[in-house]
Amino acid sequence: MATEQATGGSPRRTARWLDDRTRLGPVLAAMLHVRIPMTARTFYFGGIALFLFGIQVVTGTLLALYYKPTPEAAYESVQFITSDVSFGWLIRSLHHWAANLMILFVVLHLLRVFFQAAYKFPREVTWVVGCGLLLLTLGFGFTGYLLPWDQRAYWATVVGTEIAGGVPVIGDSLLLLLRGGSDVSGATMSRFFGIHVLVLPLALGGLLAAHLVLVHQLGLANPKKPEPRVRTAEADDEPLRPFFPHYILDEVVAWYVLLAVLVVLASLYPAGLEEPANILDAGHPKPEWYYLAVYEMLKFLPKDIGILAPIVGLGVVIVWPFLDRSPEVLARRRKVVVGGATLIVLALVFLTWRGYVA
Amino acid sequence: MAATPAHRLLRLSATALVAAGLWFGLAVTASAEDPSAAPGASASASASASASAVGSVVASPGASPSAEPLVSAPPVPSPIAHPPAGDTNGCFDCHSAVNDKQAEISAAWETSVHAAADVGCADCHGGDPRSDQITVGMSTEAGFLGSPDRTQTVGVCGSCHANVEVMRPYNLPTDQYVKYWSSVHGQRLAIANDTRVAVCTDCHGSHDVRKTSDPNAKVFPLNVPELCAGCHADAKRMEPYGIPTDQFEIYSGSVHGKALLEEQDVRAPSCASCHGSHDAKPPRATEVVEVCGKCHTATQELYEQSRHAQLEQAAPKCWTCHGTHDVSPPGSRLFFHPETPDYECSTCHDLANRTLRLEIDRFANEADRRCDTCHHPDSQIYAQVQGIADALGGAEGAYAAAGLRIEDAARLGMITADAEVGLAQARTSLIQAQAAVHTTKLKLVSDLSTDARIKADEAQAMAIAKVDESTFRRQAMIVVLALIALSVVFLVVIKRQLDRELEGR
Repeated sequence: MATEQATGGSPRRTARWLDDRTRLGPVLAAMLHVRIPMTARTFYFGGIALFLFGIQVVTGTLLALYYKPTPEAAYESVQFITSDVSFGWLIRSLHHWAANLMILFVVLHLLRVFFQAAYKFPREVTWVVGCGLLLLTLGFGFTGYLLPWDQRAYWATVVGTEIAGGVPVIGDSLLLLLRGGSDVSGATMSRFFGIHVLVLPLALGGLLAAHLVLVHQLGLANPKKPEPRVRTAEADDEPLRPFFPHYILDEVVAWYVLLAVLVVLASLYPAGLEEPANILDAGHPKPEWYYLAVYEMLKFLPKDIGILAPIVGLGVVIVWPFLDRSPEVLARRRKVVVGGATLIVLALVFLTWRGYVA
Repeated sequence: MAATPAHRLLRLSATALVAAGLWFGLAVTASAEDPSAAPGASASASASASASAVGSVVASPGASPSAEPLVSAPPVPSPIAHPPAGDTNGCFDCHSAVNDKQAEISAAWETSVHAAADVGCADCHGGDPRSDQITVGMSTEAGFLGSPDRTQTVGVCGSCHANVEVMRPYNLPTDQYVKYWSSVHGQRLAIANDTRVAVCTDCHGSHDVRKTSDPNAKVFPLNVPELCAGCHADAKRMEPYGIPTDQFEIYSGSVHGKALLEEQDVRAPSCASCHGSHDAKPPRATEVVEVCGKCHTATQELYEQSRHAQLEQAAPKCWTCHGTHDVSPPGSRLFFHPETPDYECSTCHDLANRTLRLEIDRFANEADRRCDTCHHPDSQIYAQVQGIADALGGAEGAYAAAGLRIEDAARLGMITADAEVGLAQARTSLIQAQAAVHTTKLKLVSDLSTDARIKADEAQAMAIAKVDESTFRRQAMIVVLALIALSVVFLVVIKRQLDRELEGR
């Protein structure tokens, strides 16, 4: 009867019953009951990227139940998933679109943090970890793209690995490491699949946990004024609002909107499948859209410079908080940095567009 | 029926194909009667002979003059003797520096297949390649011959290229010399001393000879039509021979010409595929089925099973329905005229002896290459043609409808691989049915058409199922979006309540 009272009553009683047996109440309270500045504007980009990662984990796991990672069977297994498995088309299409949107939102999140100067003291490490998450997300895209083993997948991987093979000094070794041989083959597929479903999820899970802990500990940045190095009474008077449930509710609404977008994309533009990979017919010598800027750049610049430029650029982005020591956060007082970054973003968008229509 | 200028041109083209063999014989004979006659005189004789030959062949499409050349090839000359050059090349050293023209010739030779095979200047011009002194290297004592004239050129080339021992290392054929002398070009050169005809260097170049597999060679398959047209489309040059000059223009618009010249498909036939290259001459009437059958092997076999093939001399041949230089894509239009044509007994019958024979010029115009040009609507064969056309039309309609449905499904983002496989199978059966028309057998065409239609219908059913599936997805999407919208509204209401509570505090 006592058990019935504890479990069959209100949710509050159920929570107490669980807390009595886990003692996680204080941990949850510490995680949820924090306060954030009223002026914080995240546009929910980071949370949406997290939501999309969750979708990728769920849909990816379901796809792995049917997918066969060999050149002989991969294409047919993807065809089987899409045509014969119940809701297979939906799961694959959600995985496909969520992957693209995840890259987009991770980049938007990075740009939001950059333009709001939220990478400055004390969030430099959070920024570096976030850059790691961006690289891992791009890695997910690169390794996952090959797996359907159709013409587009195969030739995009040929081009992508060749770009990697052009890196000075280590290019040949890197190419061999990525492909597992001189050509894109079954060996490439094996390692891409292994990296895609084991290495990258574990790495991303670890970095994501670190990123969230840091965000939790440091709180959201105020885009109006820099974080004081010493806490003052004025800083303590800043208007705040609860993270839970107020901010979380906004975040969930954003997730619902993204879910609606995903449903529309999956229904109207389901993930397709081209002809099976044919190593004799270079039908699609083009990488995926998020590598098109680099691909285009290689047409204008000498090969070494075209490959080194994005690597150096990415390195600069990662260590940027340690280069930009100014405490200023307002964009109108960071004209050079904001203007330069805007130009670079516009150039990348232009190159991506050129690569897309080429 | 009034003949249009185009009609007259096409009639001339078709009749010329058949007539050319006879023309060739007559023309050469006319010249051979007076081998010493001037080129102009012999050309006039051949032109007039040609004109009379055309008239006689129109009345007798099966006429086939002898394939044997009137004169055989002259003996193969010995290769030009000269001292071995060793590591020196005195000719090249001087000529590459003497003036721009000679430098250009030297540079052309350097890029040639001959240079790569160590065939030097003295091999064609004689002389002593070891000397850099003009009075020594180019002296008659040293065997210098100068530039071979057009008559000598074939012998100079043949001295090596007809020599089995010389050609053995290169695995090249050695029959070009004999073939050339058997060609229209060679026979005119041999009998009438007509030096305007093509000799080796006109097609292969002289100093810049390249392999036929070299895309820059004039004789590379893609370049052959333009090469032949260089002379044969030149009205002034062809005037003495009285042959048409519009073949290249007509060929360029044909299914063959488009495949070769526009799609760069080297498998497509060029002039040389039907007329020969070294042994160039028009195919004779009896040879045409074999010539077309070199590529259209299966179609030739089907044709030979037909009633048409059994008619022998009076038989409609490939060109009767498809034309010659102007071959257009086949299709159901080839069955009937849009309106019943005027029938003339002489189209298919020799009125004098009431035997079958085709009046070739009736088929010169593409619009007249139809089954009902010969087969009257009241005839039993016409009904059979109608049956073939209906069976094939039904299959083609089903195939086209299935293709459109598959396109619809693909446009909706559906994976249509299985339907496309079904459509490909339908296409195979349809092609077999279309090819079977050459047998003129109604049952065979009907059976294959039915098979094609059934497969096309199955593919269409698969495509329709995909379109329906896509419609269901879109409807389900609306339901899901409505549920999401409801959830969002619910959350927004809660959020507002919470915000109000927060403001109250």
